[in-house]
Amino acid sequence: MIRELRKIWKSCFIGLLWFLALLWPMTGINSDGTLTFARPLEIWLIVVVAAVVIMLIYSANKSGMLAPFTRPVQTAAGGLAGQAARLPIWVWLLVALGLAMFYPVIFTSRPAHDVAINVLIYISLGLGLNIVIGLAGMLDLGYIAFYGVGAYTYALLNVYLGFSFWTALPFAALFAAIAGCIIGYPTLRMRGDYLAIVTLAFGEIVRLILNNWMELTNGPNGVLGIDRPTMLVPTFDDGFGFEVISLRKLYMLYYVALALAVFTMLCVYRLNYSRIGRAWEAIREDETAAELMGVNTFLLKLLAYAMGAVFAGLAGAFFAGRMKFVSPESFTFLESAMVLCMVVLGGMASIPGIILGAAALVLMQEWFREFETYRMLVFGGCMVLMMLFRPAGLIPARRMGRRSEDDE
Amino acid sequence: MEVFIQQCINALTLGGLYALIALGYTMVYGVIQLINFAHGEFFAAGGYIGVLLLGVMTAMGLMESAPWMCLGVSLLLTMLYCAFLAMGVERIAYKPLRKQTRLAALISALGMSIFLSNGMMLARGPLDQPYPLEYSSGGFEFGLITINNLQIVIWVLTAVLLVALNLLVFRSRIGMAMRAVAQDKVMSALVAINTNRIIALTFAIGAGLAAAAGIMVGLYYGSVRYDMGFVPGIKAFAAAVLGGIGNITGAMIGGLIIGAVEVFGAAYISGEYKDVFAFIILIAVLYFKPTGIMGENIDDTRV
Amino acid sequence: MKKMKRSVGVVAVLAVALMSGAATAETLKIGMMGPLTGPYAADGNDIANGVRVAIEVINEAGGIEGFDTIELITQDTACDPKQAVAAANNLINDEVVGVVGAYCSSSTIPASETLAEEDILMLTPASTNEMVTDRGLPYMFRVCGRDDDQAPAAVRFMKEALGAKTVFIVDDKTTYSQGLADGVAASSKEMGLEVLAHEHVNQGDKDFSAILTKAKAAAPDVLYMSLQNHSSGSLMAIQANRMGLDAAILSQDAMFHPNFINVAKEAAEGVYVTFGYTDESTEAYKQFADKFSAQYGDIGAYAIYAYDAATVLLNGIKQAGSTDPAKIKEAIMAMDFQGASKQIKFNEKGDSGSSYIAFKIENGEYRPYWHPETGYYQ
Repeated sequence: MIRELRKIWKSCFIGLLWFLALLWPMTGINSDGTLTFARPLEIWLIVVVAAVVIMLIYSANKSGMLAPFTRPVQTAAGGLAGQAARLPIWVWLLVALGLAMFYPVIFTSRPAHDVAINVLIYISLGLGLNIVIGLAGMLDLGYIAFYGVGAYTYALLNVYLGFSFWTALPFAALFAAIAGCIIGYPTLRMRGDYLAIVTLAFGEIVRLILNNWMELTNGPNGVLGIDRPTMLVPTFDDGFGFEVISLRKLYMLYYVALALAVFTMLCVYRLNYSRIGRAWEAIREDETAAELMGVNTFLLKLLAYAMGAVFAGLAGAFFAGRMKFVSPESFTFLESAMVLCMVVLGGMASIPGIILGAAALVLMQEWFREFETYRMLVFGGCMVLMMLFRPAGLIPARRMGRRSEDDE
Repeated sequence: MEVFIQQCINALTLGGLYALIALGYTMVYGVIQLINFAHGEFFAAGGYIGVLLLGVMTAMGLMESAPWMCLGVSLLLTMLYCAFLAMGVERIAYKPLRKQTRLAALISALGMSIFLSNGMMLARGPLDQPYPLEYSSGGFEFGLITINNLQIVIWVLTAVLLVALNLLVFRSRIGMAMRAVAQDKVMSALVAINTNRIIALTFAIGAGLAAAAGIMVGLYYGSVRYDMGFVPGIKAFAAAVLGGIGNITGAMIGGLIIGAVEVFGAAYISGEYKDVFAFIILIAVLYFKPTGIMGENIDDTRV
Repeated sequence: MKKMKRSVGVVAVLAVALMSGAATAETLKIGMMGPLTGPYAADGNDIANGVRVAIEVINEAGGIEGFDTIELITQDTACDPKQAVAAANNLINDEVVGVVGAYCSSSTIPASETLAEEDILMLTPASTNEMVTDRGLPYMFRVCGRDDDQAPAAVRFMKEALGAKTVFIVDDKTTYSQGLADGVAASSKEMGLEVLAHEHVNQGDKDFSAILTKAKAAAPDVLYMSLQNHSSGSLMAIQANRMGLDAAILSQDAMFHPNFINVAKEAAEGVYVTFGYTDESTEAYKQFADKFSAQYGDIGAYAIYAYDAATVLLNGIKQAGSTDPAKIKEAIMAMDFQGASKQIKFNEKGDSGSSYIAFKIENGEYRPYWHPETGYYQ
């Protein structure tokens, strides 16, 4: 035990020296060629103190000195988990749904609603991407393109042809599915990282077309004046009738987003346990074996792309209706990467995992707003740390093997 | 005609720069099959350290007497710095994940890329850092055609590094060990190859190449910025895949093709769609030859 | 760095207790949104600091009756439409009376739609796209100029001052840069200037060699460079210079930034830019400049407009004597005063007029060069 700890301390020490060697040229040389030592040392000492504190806690924990504190907590947590496991799953679902239903009542501020809507949009996106990446096992770095297609479909249909949100929704899904097939078709022969770059390229192509096709999309200016989703509400003013109201308040939009997210969850859940879902998983685990067992890999892979795209398209249409404005800047590669992170951080192919992943990433970005310039730095660091400590995600899926491609 | 020749020169330069970045990408991929998203950040770090070292030498008064020697020295030091940076990144963010799925390592690489580029922004500020323009001031002119000194340096450097890398990989013991690790980590460990060290070395070499590219880009375009690594990183990745990822000559060819498509697309068809052309060429090539131009047949090596 | 760390700058005021005996302790909240992070962070912080100076000046002049303190709440948009809407929602939640911002037109437009739902005033110090005020939002004001004023001014400058007959236009496809380039192309046609080509590049491109080779072959009198930010501008200026392009280079307000000259160095010499004219001899400017440079150093391009925007907002509240948006609007519409940047009077759209002149970069400085009414400067 002691030897092990000594080894860890040693590597920590080397790491800190290494860090100083990297840090000093970056921060210690001024633009005019003069040298400073105070600033890099200041940063370095902060990091050293932080590292030493973490190492002390770690060592203390390893050598059992913290046991008096950690043990009661652990037993309590274990007890709670045991209690929780005894309750049937539908109770939990009901509680979660109830909380989601009353969320706008509990939190009444606008930012709270705003964040919640963002989380729900990303949940839909994450679950859609999960079909492609978690179930069928195909890496997709251009997923946000479908989101863009959905958003622009609703935006253009609404602005030019006056479609309402609900009539445009099927079209958004349809066009996104078509885009999914267009992207899916040439990539079917490719595997692994070739797939990654081709999907990335498609994502960029879609964004560039949105940015450059002035006549249709109005290019970088984006599409303005998109209508909010509407709702038929019964009125009793003069007899019984329906009145169309535009959902202007954020909490109304929240319920639309919630409905969308719940719909996506149900679909993905049902797909997961259907014949198609099992065939996808067979492709994920071993494509050659799946084909030998009579799985139509061509059609199913295409279907995975199309299905994934449908949910992104729906989310995109809602996004356009909520923002009342779409512009190509919202559909960059970084957004694709963000959705991918949600899926992987949460746990691939695991629905609760992805919900948690989406919520965690959106909330993380909001919380780190306080740090301002440090926000993205901390964010990137957290991504690395998450992968180091929970590489299978926060809530790993139960049925998940290793892909044949991963074993070299 | 003169315009066409000038465009060819433009294409060769841009292609050379992409190839320089792609070489490092493809080295790393060839050995551990990881899309190293942080490669673009090594490239940006190289750009920064290069200009800082040049600044130090200017302050010491060395630039006046021997400018090209200063450039050479800062190039070497910068490559060394980036090699250290890459080895550190590899040790922290990639090595612990080697047994995990490829996606975990990919996300970790993405996180590292965001971390490094924002770290550079905090260290050096969000504005462009100017490079000295003296190196790119001289050149040749033939009528309308101009060739810059620096363009020649870029071509020579790319060619030299290509040959040197090929020699390293195919004619040296280290290269043999790298190829062995690329094929089978367990087996190469059994024949007494220190796989961890070889992988770290590969990262170091790849980052060194990125650093060289960073300095060249800084000198040629006149400035560096913290987020400069991202777009060229993606283009270089596309170039590496186009040529057949893991293949050094392929990366070179891929870089030149992407550069040529962009320049000629912008010159003769449409400037705003030039990236679209580059990506369409990439997709078309991969559709007909899914392992890239120089890549070997995937089914023989993988399954 | 220290200054930037605090997002919420609380400006404490010595309470003017004598005047407002009956008033309870009230805080007036105003918002600021802009790119505090990312590539445009420098401009965003200039805007925030300009607003801070305006609050200080108002406080020194006795503050606003009925309020003890004026609080500034800043929000980062990072020039991303989605973040801009989130920022607007946060400001609404904080119950601000008015907002100064945003910087990028593509952020200002969606953010203003959100703010309009709650009838919150918005004054932009930097978004020059026409659509910002042309949508008919009742509480949207603009302190800087409009692109469709800048474009004719630029064309007149090319024709009258440079004696140009042909122009080669390049833009990088953003709301701002393309809008301006289209405007220049249109007014060139009207004024009889031949447009040899109108080329586009993408934002974030580094290599412009293909386009510049074309420009060189076309041999125009002027290269009109319409780019989103000074960083792309310096890249293009360097490459044009290296390629031996003979044409004069004319660009717009985004190139009015010290770092454009820092990076492009010799290549920046002789480049013309159109930018709003500020009479540096007025009392209002001096008052602003002294305060600003004492605290924040160099005066960035948009700090002046941000200062004026905040002054308009605060004086509007003061004169209206309430936080009712309709009354404040009435007060703002009645204003006609010499601001730090220019004479400010709003028309029914919410624009305050433009005053574009041409600057020339000489010896590493922006020097006023040509005024559309009075001709060349000495």
